[in-house]
Amino acid sequence: MGSVDLLSLVQSGFTGETVLACLEVSKMQGWVRTTRYLAIISKSGSSAFFVLTSTRVPPISPADVSVEGIVPIDSNFKFELDTETQHEDGHDLYLSVSSNKSKLLFEMMPSSKSNAFVGELYKAVDNVVRKSGPLEYNWLNRYPPVIRHDCSDNGLKEEVQDSVVDSPDSLSLPRESIAKGSTPIAARESVIRYMMSKKEDQYMYKQSFRIFVGTWNVNGQSPTADLTEWLSCDVDPPDIYAIGFQELDLSTEAFLFNDTPRENEWYKAVVSGLHNGAKYTRVKLVRLVGMMLVVFVQEKLRQYVTGVACDTVGTGIMGKMGNKGGVGVRLDFHSTSICFVNAHLAAHVEEYERRNQDYRDIYSRMCFSSHHPPKTIKDHDHIYWLGDLNYRITEIDPKYVKDCVERDSFQKVLEYDQLIKQCRAQTVFVGFKEGSITFKPTYKYDTGTDNWDSSEKNRAPAWCDRILWKGESIEQIEYRSHPFLKISDHKPVSSLFDAKVRIIDAVKYRKIHEEVMKKLDKLENEFLPQVTVETTEITFDTVQFLVPQSKNLIIANTGQVPVKFEFIKKLDDPYYCKDWLNIEPYLGDVIPGEKCEVKVEVRVDKKSAYKLNSGQDQLYDILVLHLEGGKDIFITVSGNYERSCFGTSLETLASIKEPIREISLGSIIDKEKKKDSFSSGEGTYAVPKEVWFLVDHLYRHGTKAKHLFVQPGLHSEIYDIRDWLDNGSQESLPGSVYSVAEALLLLFESCPEPVIPYEMHTACLNCASNFMQCKQIIQGLTYHRKNVFIYLCSFLRELLSHSDDNGLDTKTLAALFGGIFMRDKPVPRDVSKPRSSQQQLDRKKSIFIYHFLVNDYPDLLPPLVSS
Amino acid sequence: MSGGPYSYSYIFKYIIIGDMGVGKSCLLHQFTEKKFMADCPHTIGVEFGTRIIEVSGQKIKLQIWDTAGQERFRAVTRSYYRGAAGALMVYDITRRSTYNHLSSWLTDTRNLTNPSTVIFLIGNKCDLDGQRDVTYEEAKQFAEENGLMFVEASAKTGERVEEAFLETAKKIFQSIQDGRLDLNAAESGVQHKPSQTGRTTLSNDQQPNKDTCSC
Ligand SMILES: Nc1nc2c(ncn2[C@@H]2O[C@H](COP(=O)(O)OP(=O)(O)OP(=O)(O)O)[C@@H](O)[C@H]2O)c(=O)[nH]1
Ligand SMILES: [Mg+2]
Repeated sequence: MGSVDLLSLVQSGFTGETVLACLEVSKMQGWVRTTRYLAIISKSGSSAFFVLTSTRVPPISPADVSVEGIVPIDSNFKFELDTETQHEDGHDLYLSVSSNKSKLLFEMMPSSKSNAFVGELYKAVDNVVRKSGPLEYNWLNRYPPVIRHDCSDNGLKEEVQDSVVDSPDSLSLPRESIAKGSTPIAARESVIRYMMSKKEDQYMYKQSFRIFVGTWNVNGQSPTADLTEWLSCDVDPPDIYAIGFQELDLSTEAFLFNDTPRENEWYKAVVSGLHNGAKYTRVKLVRLVGMMLVVFVQEKLRQYVTGVACDTVGTGIMGKMGNKGGVGVRLDFHSTSICFVNAHLAAHVEEYERRNQDYRDIYSRMCFSSHHPPKTIKDHDHIYWLGDLNYRITEIDPKYVKDCVERDSFQKVLEYDQLIKQCRAQTVFVGFKEGSITFKPTYKYDTGTDNWDSSEKNRAPAWCDRILWKGESIEQIEYRSHPFLKISDHKPVSSLFDAKVRIIDAVKYRKIHEEVMKKLDKLENEFLPQVTVETTEITFDTVQFLVPQSKNLIIANTGQVPVKFEFIKKLDDPYYCKDWLNIEPYLGDVIPGEKCEVKVEVRVDKKSAYKLNSGQDQLYDILVLHLEGGKDIFITVSGNYERSCFGTSLETLASIKEPIREISLGSIIDKEKKKDSFSSGEGTYAVPKEVWFLVDHLYRHGTKAKHLFVQPGLHSEIYDIRDWLDNGSQESLPGSVYSVAEALLLLFESCPEPVIPYEMHTACLNCASNFMQCKQIIQGLTYHRKNVFIYLCSFLRELLSHSDDNGLDTKTLAALFGGIFMRDKPVPRDVSKPRSSQQQLDRKKSIFIYHFLVNDYPDLLPPLVSS
Repeated sequence: MSGGPYSYSYIFKYIIIGDMGVGKSCLLHQFTEKKFMADCPHTIGVEFGTRIIEVSGQKIKLQIWDTAGQERFRAVTRSYYRGAAGALMVYDITRRSTYNHLSSWLTDTRNLTNPSTVIFLIGNKCDLDGQRDVTYEEAKQFAEENGLMFVEASAKTGERVEEAFLETAKKIFQSIQDGRLDLNAAESGVQHKPSQTGRTTLSNDQQPNKDTCSC
């Protein structure tokens, strides 16, 4: 189903909203994946991520589709792409979507469709960041009640239901659908990853660390003051420092070339101002023109800091110049990702819209691309945002402001703080928190004093310098300014945080990982195809020539997954079973709990009889029953073959005076080995007695039978004739002459070689039109073969002399016996010869025989029948 | 969560061979399930087991084929040697005949596998020391003469079972690193999955581009 169709189909189910994109994916749930449709749907400026199910895959009407879950695309919405897991069949793409504590994992096929979908998702997320003003999600309320995400910010009701996100422990398996084969088993790696992330609580613990965040606009001044007052004002040494400056250097040189001696001066000042209760090491320093951010960590904790990266975003003219903007440092501390952003937003009292825009620019453009995968600010667990944000106090009399703050009565004034107002309106810093301000405005002072700026009498002081944060388990302990530092027109601000960081308990992690692996190993075994066969030995008692016997092998699927079975070839074997065996069906599918009956049939026919008679083969075969993706089972088939004159060479038959079953198998094998030495005819019959019995019987009872050799006999009579020949009897030969005639043909057909041996066939066919040459060939046959040939031909001529009664004609008999005397080499199973060349051959064979049915040939020795 | 540590980068194929009743299936079971099967039926066919292990920081998936030991299946089980990276050849220290047959198992292994296949000899049931019929020393000597790795192990107690499977994997891994084992050879018995690190974002040309970001 094309994406356009899917999109319009889904759209027609959402009349009031716009469906921006739609994609078929697999939802990963524990061990299995099931088909879902994802849609990005928007209305009144906000959008949401919909998970849809369909009663039909693919859906063909909007009625098939229903909403399974909704995740509003708001400031809590995060998604991540992962192509790390690779499978035999190429790259799968994983999309993980999270919102607060909920997580969803989807698998999708990389394609232009998925590309487009992800593109839309990026856009939608970007929209949230860029949007000024709160987004309205009330339209989602019309889709109860499966929403489980914490949407209270958006006025959505909060419900918990497991249909979207399964609980951490459940390995809820839709066994039934696995069993039916409709749910493919998800790749092992992604399942492990998924399960481990679900169990995070069990191997992660949280530990508190002290994080000191400071910001100071230094107005281009040199560090002539001691910074301990700012940086070391707490009793205990913090674990991490993130210190940001603005207006480090106001020179044109710095602005144009981003080069300043102040960087080093201030860096040194900071280092000497750090708390002396601990040793610190620098993690990263980043600077863009006058904005500098430096991060330190206690030396003993450095080993837990990884993935350090930084980026800068200029929001000055053309969104590029670095007089305004932000610098950021990101790092992973234990298992928590932390991002510090130091920003200097647009100045000027009334320009709060510009400041909002600068924030959004920094928030969306900052990208730590040296980190793998690249991270943006929002991708972090903890975000600290500091800097000269430049928001002012407006719409209130500056004199009143000054009066209030003089009395340390900030609350009234803060009502007019642009940042607080904008935050409330959700136009900026959505999801961020700020502690309550209990310090005097930090701007603007006359340098070197605590006096309000005297140059512009009418401007209200403001809290330009702020520190905000976003993330769980962060507690602000201090939020303050440091008025004793007077070298700038701003006062430095700092905040001390108690941040709980996630730490992997290596021992527990190993243990849980092992448990997960064990569980999966078990599941993997559980989901291996399993069958039972009621026996691995199929034994047939006595197997007689031509008589089919069969037994059923019942293959029962006792496992959890559908099984594909097939009987497969063994090393170097041409076929999966011997040619006296037939297996029906030799491959198939069995769903769990079901059985499949396989018919194993033994039938020794003219092709296989000789090998069994002569001991070259036995009624014994091992079949390999292969389960796709699983084990192999060996099925042994065996039986006793009752040897017979059928499938015995003419020479051996001629050398045996007794019925063949009175002779031991050993001596038959022996005779077959030595059969060439009987060709002189010494001590043997001129023609095998079996041939003689059959021909003689026909001679006496069948010459007038209508269509002898054309009309078939009866199977049961042929079996009786076989027994009569093999065992010997005083009774007369049983069965009708037709059965006797067919038995005679069969006797020749089952000989290892035709009467005229294979190697002479070409010569025969080449001279078929020349009777003289044909006679020479017959003259050159070995003793028994020549006798059999002439004996048979004489008999056929006798038959033809009764053609008025039996209705036979020479051509028919010539064609029939051409095929008997010059039988083609057997071809392997499943191979067929081209028909046209076969017809030519057959015609020549019959011409060859024809000569001997219409001519006299006294020059050929007459058959000697000794008795 | 990073996916890196969980995925495996190699698949090694192993076969377990040896006379019937020497404990091949029990060894496999002990290795994959850490349990002993006291009454294990004869294997009529080829059983299949897997486990993921770690060698030199690399995750390796072992794909183990446990063959039927009965003589009558010998011709059929030969089909399974092909493409094995490791062959565990097992005898029973309490039954001399199973030890005497080793040379014929070894011949099959050498003929049907490739020269880099690691052959590990296991004298199983070493918990039954009282009924010992084959000394450690003579088996050790046999192993040395034929260039085989060797331990006496017990599928019952689990003693040195891990060692046999893991040492074999280490040796195979070494061969790969030395370049003695050609991964591209069809019958090396090793499949390599080049490890992919890092998540990537989709760019419009559908090439995973590491430097792309959403900013
Ligand atoms: N005491 C003891 N008995 C063992 C040990 N290993 C296997 N056995 C027993 O030996 C018998 C045969 O073990 P299997 O694992 O079935 O032997 P196998 O080599 O797989 O045999 P086939 O499948 O016929 O080739 C079982 O009864 C096991 O319980 C061992 O280490 N110690
Ligand atoms: Mg076994």
